[in-house]
Amino acid sequence: MANGSEQANLGIASQDCGIVQFDGWDDAMARFEADLAPRLGGQLPTKVGDTTYQDGKLVIRIAPRRLWLLCDGPPPAIDIDPELGCMLALGEGRVRLRLSGQNIKHVLERCVVVDWDSLQEGEGVQVGFHRVPVLLLRTGPFECDLFAPRSFARSLVEWISEVEIGCRHTGP
Amino acid sequence: MRRLNKLGRIDRSQPIAFTFDGKTMTGFRGDSLASAMLANDVTIVGRSFKYHRPRGIYSAGPEEPNALVTIGTGGRREPNLPATTVELADGLVAESQNRWPSLKFDVQSINSWFSPFLAAGFYYKTFMGPTRRSWMFYEHFIRKAAGLGRAGQEPDPDRYEVRHLFADVAVVGAGPAGLAAALAAAEAGAKVVLVEQDFLAGGYLLSEPSAGQAGAWLAGMLARLADMPNVSLMTRTIAFGAYDGNVLGLLERHNSSSVDPRQGEARQTLGLLRAKSIVYCTGSIERPLTFANNDRPGIMLASAARTYLNRYGVLAGKRVLVAADNDSAYSAAIDLAAAGAQVTIADSRAQPGPQLLEQARRGGIAVRATSMIAKAIGGHNVRAVVLIEPRGKTTLECDLIGVSGGWSPTVHLTSHLGIKPVYREDIRAFVPGKLGAGQFVAGAVTGSFTTEAAVDDGHRAGNEAFAFCDAARSSQAQVKFDLPKINAKLGVIGDDGNSGLRPKPPLSPAFSTQTNEGVGGKMNLAKGKAFVDLQMDVTVSDIALAHQEGYQSVEHLKRYTTLGMGTDQGKTSNFYALSAMAGLRGMAIPDVGTTTFRPPFTPVAVGALAGLSHGHHYKPFRRTPMHDWHVSNDAEMLETGLWMRPWFYHASSRDVNEAYVAEMRNVREAAGLMDISTLGKIAVQGPDAAEFLDRVYVNGFAKLPVGRARYGVMLRDDGIVFDDGTTTRVGDQHFFMTTSTARAADVMSRLEFLLDTAWPDLRVSVSSVSDEWAAMSVAGPKSRDILAAAFPDLDVSNDALPHMGLLEGRYRDRPLRIIRLSFSGERAYEIYAGASVGKEAWCRLIDAGTPFGLKPYGIEALGALRVEKGHVAGPEIDGRTTLDDLGLRRMAGKSSGFVGEVLGRRQAFSDPERPRLVGLRCVEDGRRLRGGAILFRPNEPVQGHGLGRITSTTYSPTLDAWVGLGLLATSAAQEGAEFIAHYPLKGEAVRARVVSPTFLDPKGDWFHG
Repeated sequence: MANGSEQANLGIASQDCGIVQFDGWDDAMARFEADLAPRLGGQLPTKVGDTTYQDGKLVIRIAPRRLWLLCDGPPPAIDIDPELGCMLALGEGRVRLRLSGQNIKHVLERCVVVDWDSLQEGEGVQVGFHRVPVLLLRTGPFECDLFAPRSFARSLVEWISEVEIGCRHTGP
Repeated sequence: MRRLNKLGRIDRSQPIAFTFDGKTMTGFRGDSLASAMLANDVTIVGRSFKYHRPRGIYSAGPEEPNALVTIGTGGRREPNLPATTVELADGLVAESQNRWPSLKFDVQSINSWFSPFLAAGFYYKTFMGPTRRSWMFYEHFIRKAAGLGRAGQEPDPDRYEVRHLFADVAVVGAGPAGLAAALAAAEAGAKVVLVEQDFLAGGYLLSEPSAGQAGAWLAGMLARLADMPNVSLMTRTIAFGAYDGNVLGLLERHNSSSVDPRQGEARQTLGLLRAKSIVYCTGSIERPLTFANNDRPGIMLASAARTYLNRYGVLAGKRVLVAADNDSAYSAAIDLAAAGAQVTIADSRAQPGPQLLEQARRGGIAVRATSMIAKAIGGHNVRAVVLIEPRGKTTLECDLIGVSGGWSPTVHLTSHLGIKPVYREDIRAFVPGKLGAGQFVAGAVTGSFTTEAAVDDGHRAGNEAFAFCDAARSSQAQVKFDLPKINAKLGVIGDDGNSGLRPKPPLSPAFSTQTNEGVGGKMNLAKGKAFVDLQMDVTVSDIALAHQEGYQSVEHLKRYTTLGMGTDQGKTSNFYALSAMAGLRGMAIPDVGTTTFRPPFTPVAVGALAGLSHGHHYKPFRRTPMHDWHVSNDAEMLETGLWMRPWFYHASSRDVNEAYVAEMRNVREAAGLMDISTLGKIAVQGPDAAEFLDRVYVNGFAKLPVGRARYGVMLRDDGIVFDDGTTTRVGDQHFFMTTSTARAADVMSRLEFLLDTAWPDLRVSVSSVSDEWAAMSVAGPKSRDILAAAFPDLDVSNDALPHMGLLEGRYRDRPLRIIRLSFSGERAYEIYAGASVGKEAWCRLIDAGTPFGLKPYGIEALGALRVEKGHVAGPEIDGRTTLDDLGLRRMAGKSSGFVGEVLGRRQAFSDPERPRLVGLRCVEDGRRLRGGAILFRPNEPVQGHGLGRITSTTYSPTLDAWVGLGLLATSAAQEGAEFIAHYPLKGEAVRARVVSPTFLDPKGDWFHG
């Protein structure tokens, strides 16, 4: 799925995305990460919210024992030793909302509690958006991706569009 | 006309037309509504809350107790706004409040005559007598007589927003201290947000002559800040609350001259500012004086008279009496005299300082020492004043009285987090208590009342605030900027040699009442009401009465008299009330204490709190993958929780009662297709997943084979049924759990809680996959044929896919699961397809099933089908029922080891009077059962809770009768017994017979085979 709408100062594109979730067991985290890291391109992010991008694979740690692999295409097949952890495909349930434009900061500050100026490119943060859990990933100076539950996605896009109208008179 | 041709910060080249009570007037850009009304000789602005006394403009800021007006018309009507804080805008429509038929002639001013009956506590006394029902009589009149403005009835067409803001250093208040703090922090490198409630920055400096040194200093500071990209100055923004984590609640009123709601621009924005550190430079508020008739129009704070003169070019009176007990009022007197007014100062002190006297003399001002006001004379405007002096009483004609009883630091925000303000005897005022980490104060709020001290203080606080939020850089970044000196030649030079720009500490007695209403007969000079709280019409006598009647705690005083409970929150009255009670109780002021300061500092419109969250955006909607199909196929959609679900399809009938019966009949006779994507779905994975489920469910899952599903029931810790659903083993260590739609989030949270706290040793991962799958149910005798036609590559025969069996496959390169389950009693299959192809899968089933009579059905029919089959759902699993109540005990094959098992064995749960699930069938032709009806035995008196209740009902087309499920006392629940179902809301009573709750196919032949 891919569709988009170009607003005056903000573009919104909605796309499907591949997500694979990896969970490690508490007593086997070190072995789990050592086993998983080379298959995800090298190093794994260490802090919640941090990301690594290697060999076309974007990995984000979204909880102390949970990692997400984000892919534009079909996710790679990766087996996990059940004694170390487990994996789960989550790509069907979430939609990637790609926001870009000069007004992105002003739009986002009316949507989520995130300090855009402090958020580094490549950094992610889980936020509540209209009371919906969303993963926000900054991808550029004026771009970010919101990974939103599919059932909520249209409602959130409607909210963003409404907010954007009010921001058209706000400078970048 | 009181407008001068010179002075002020208004732009006389830009006239602005506005109306007040329908009369067109003219002001200028830069005016407040209050200044423009004063300039147009408006003396009465409103009527008081209780006595309907005429009131004028009393202050020049948010502390205004009197001049409350309603702004706007229709849906934009906003009541109770202080005219002193409203920025004048083109076409502004203002209206006075609490008067009828007009402001000048208000019938209810008759209340003053009955004031002996309306003293403090009268409202509570009306609850008590002479009979208990008296209040019903009084209420109508009291509510009509007392009041403020009225909100509009029409929808507000304007737009409101909520923003989340961040800063290193937030500075509240852009007076001299705030400007200095912001500059210090910004030059050190901090990201600074400077918040100012006024539409201009400058604070008290705006009340200085604009052409003077203060104006130059202010312009210089603003220019420096404007050049700094790391500084954001938010004018028209009030910090209304301080919250945990250094969060400030801000309300930004956008410039009504430039905002165009039709273009989507917001009228107001609610901001939540998260700062690493905060500097409060909230200033101070001048205190009034109490004397008889101290509420008359023409009486205002001395500082306000000065503000109207120097900022707005409005000379509020020509014959002015300034009554004071401190130095600061001399600045107002001297400026007013210089502008042409005839000014007299009544100073309650015996010996005002010689420098003050000299400056007053040079200004042509008569100073009367040891002189206090006994009484103001006048109706719609003050005409004269009676002074009490050592020589006796003197009457002096005047048209303006400026009062100054000292200054109270504005400690509201610093007290919002429960930090009690601290009393300082040297200045006889409360100052902020010990603040939390990252919070600083500067300027007059600290009790330091000179401008140069405020600037130094602000500079220090700005540096400290920066150091707190960035300790690593602060040692190098301490900034000592070169500020122009502003203490010379400004205002009045006090006798301590300091600039008199802000007052010295008040030297008067703590409670300087100048009236016969003085507490304890301290003074007995004149008749008339002496108000402490102007907005709530609370007098000195009311406080004495409260004391006399035992309401001596400051919290009781507040509630008994309503003191401080108006929209101004007692900004000008609280200190006098505390002083009065201290005097009455013979205690020191700090021993009396203060009331609790709570947000908001000023009122916040509900619209601003809601922001965009109203109407369509009130809550986020969840849409299933098939949502658009439902809408385009004429489904009547229904909000259920956050989900949008098809209620029924208009193709079945336009009427829901006909539609659901038709849809039920089609399911029983052919097949129906239902969107069940809203079910909660949880992936349970890990080596210990089966063990985990064994503990969570009352029935066992460890031995469930891969490829099989099982119905399960969960209990709460207390043994009450929590939720039910099915769980399918899709792999040796992987289970697919479904929950009811309503409980999906609760169950997920519950599982995570148990894993985190009760069994952290279990190697189990739980993940919500509710959005992963589009889910649909094909139910009915033709369902297998339809499935085979839709997915010809899959073997859906009874052998390959028996009841409670699982079949996995792929559909359009997405995962596909088919689980044979029945909720309706028919042969049925739940089809789970990847959400991205859910709509295609649905359409495929429709296309394949149409030749077999397949039609979609909605949740009304779904609920009815399950009642016929006797399946319990939300109305029965209502947080009060147990396994035994619901007839589910047989599920608990295990004897122990599951959540809720221990407390589920409580003796109370086996009480024979506990209700248990029964079926009920209506036995009267042409009558119906209703959910919620109470069950009584025939000939039993209809009172109390009866023996049980009906939980769910439906018309059964198969049985041609109304049937229902109910919960009935076990001792009475024999099949065949008849009861009367009373439905009080409609006054109905209908006979019903107890039957088995499984109305159809009790052996399950329909869904097996």
